[in-house]
Amino acid sequence: MLFEIVLNGLLLGGLYTLMGTGFSLQWGISGIINLSYGGMMVLGGYIAFFLHRLINIQPIVSIIPAAVVLFFFGLLVYSFLLRPTIKKGSFFVTVIMTFAVELVLENFMLLVWASDYRIITSPYSSIGFDIFGTHLPFIKALIFLMSILGVLLVYLFMSKTKPGKSIQASALNPAGARFIGINVEKMYMYNYGIGCAIAAVAGALASNINAFSVVLAGGLLGKVFVITVLGGLGNIWGAALGGITLGLVESIGTITVGPEYNEALGLIVMVIVLVFRPRGLIGKKFWDV
Amino acid sequence: MLFDAIKNKRSNLFLVVILAVLIVLPWILSGYWTRLITMVFMFAVIAKAIDLMMGYLGYVPFGNVVFFGLGAYSAGIGMSNGMPFIVAMLLGIVVSSLVCILFGTPVLRLRGHYFAVASIGLNGALMAIALNATGLTGGAMGIIFPVISLPPDMINKVFYFAMLLLMLLAIGINVLIIRSRMGFAIRSIKSNEDAARSLGVNTTFYKTATWVISASLTSIAGAVYGYWMSYISTVDVFNVMISVTSILMVLLGGVGTILGPILGAGIFQVLSEVIWSQFLELHSGILGVITILVILFLPRGVLTETRMLIRNRAMTKKAVKTNE
Repeated sequence: MLFEIVLNGLLLGGLYTLMGTGFSLQWGISGIINLSYGGMMVLGGYIAFFLHRLINIQPIVSIIPAAVVLFFFGLLVYSFLLRPTIKKGSFFVTVIMTFAVELVLENFMLLVWASDYRIITSPYSSIGFDIFGTHLPFIKALIFLMSILGVLLVYLFMSKTKPGKSIQASALNPAGARFIGINVEKMYMYNYGIGCAIAAVAGALASNINAFSVVLAGGLLGKVFVITVLGGLGNIWGAALGGITLGLVESIGTITVGPEYNEALGLIVMVIVLVFRPRGLIGKKFWDV
Repeated sequence: MLFDAIKNKRSNLFLVVILAVLIVLPWILSGYWTRLITMVFMFAVIAKAIDLMMGYLGYVPFGNVVFFGLGAYSAGIGMSNGMPFIVAMLLGIVVSSLVCILFGTPVLRLRGHYFAVASIGLNGALMAIALNATGLTGGAMGIIFPVISLPPDMINKVFYFAMLLLMLLAIGINVLIIRSRMGFAIRSIKSNEDAARSLGVNTTFYKTATWVISASLTSIAGAVYGYWMSYISTVDVFNVMISVTSILMVLLGGVGTILGPILGAGIFQVLSEVIWSQFLELHSGILGVITILVILFLPRGVLTETRMLIRNRAMTKKAVKTNE
């Protein structure tokens, strides 16, 4: 029983970590609370779903086109809508702007694909195996591994490559970064695009194990909020800690008080953490607190 | 701001005329328009409450809708247990203020966007509790208010004036706060909180007090709304869209101005209604596009932009005169 709870929590936590990573990058480095993150995840899910259904691309492969589409979409949104807003208005006007993007995005998806719940059923979605008497569906394990791989790739990109380091430098010390010849504005833009791409990948992966629909965008955003704030901003380890914590909290909550309290439990834990540790469990001071 | 208006006799007269028109309106307009304007008043109150936090104190309460929900639910639960409306409404104010004090004292330490996020979290958590505490709140079935035994035409007028009165109350409180010691305190917190504290302003007290006032106004609006609709459900009154659209109304009208949020509420609500009736399927998309356009081209809000336009024109005129 205990093993089952922990296993489920960890599996869920892997996907949550990936979800949180993109949002955390956007918030911690580009300084944007992206309220359209949930819609972007759902869009990623739709792309994977239709690639699988129409031209039979494996859902695991289709995360690449989903990521590419959302990356460029993110770049467009940032350069035409967010950059001018950041220049003119305050932080909160930018938040409202991302909310406007969400409204348009949701309306678009609702018109094109309606609000029906969909789920990807791949040939291997019925395979499973047993560990210590607990049934583990193969697809859940695969999604977990893919998510962890995704997070590791983002981590390696951010800490080992030149563009990744430039992005980090732009967040830590914009003036200094500009001084050594980094185009800070451009780095923020790429970072925002990468965040959107991660949203798409997470959405595409999640659509293999959970039914999704446009109406779930808000709920997904809520989860992402909790993950990010729990762990800390602009920091992949923070997202990992937040994701696994939320996974465990939900898995324990499902057994003890019932799945309908999951959303409330996550939010309550988030509020408690915010009260005692405003920067999150291991958050660094990337962005003013 | 309204100071200029009060000093200036002509705009004073203008305000009196507007008020007189508003009082006569429900006898001229159809029920549909009366209800629409009542809705405008309601959103004006919510936007005013948000602007008190956002425009004067500098904290954006994204989750302020939680008090709308608490007000509506307290009134609903109170009235279905036989309380008269006024007592049930006061119950809502007490509950909201308690939540504010208990929750606000630690959370208002958080600066800027952490406060915004925490307030959204508070709303989500209380909404989920209201949805699941079926014994007290009726859960997903919602709460039905006692029936009002008046003809529908009278009901429209009663709630029209209730909301109008509430809006005037919100404006009055705003003017009083700005003129008082508290107004100076909260504006000093907005411009530099550390400096304000070092000068001896009790920042925690003033921040919590402002939030209590903002929450009380919102909760009264929620109680009146619940009684008016005679049925409420959690997805209805704890909907974050309500605070987000209200913030948008504040931005549209002008942040930190007395009449801006009210103007913004009027423009937004009427526009939203027109879009709703013309393009039902594109409703939220068009609202999104309008929001984008407002932010890009009217970043300071209609009221502030117009005022600057008038001032610039006057200055140009003066400059031309002196040149001649």
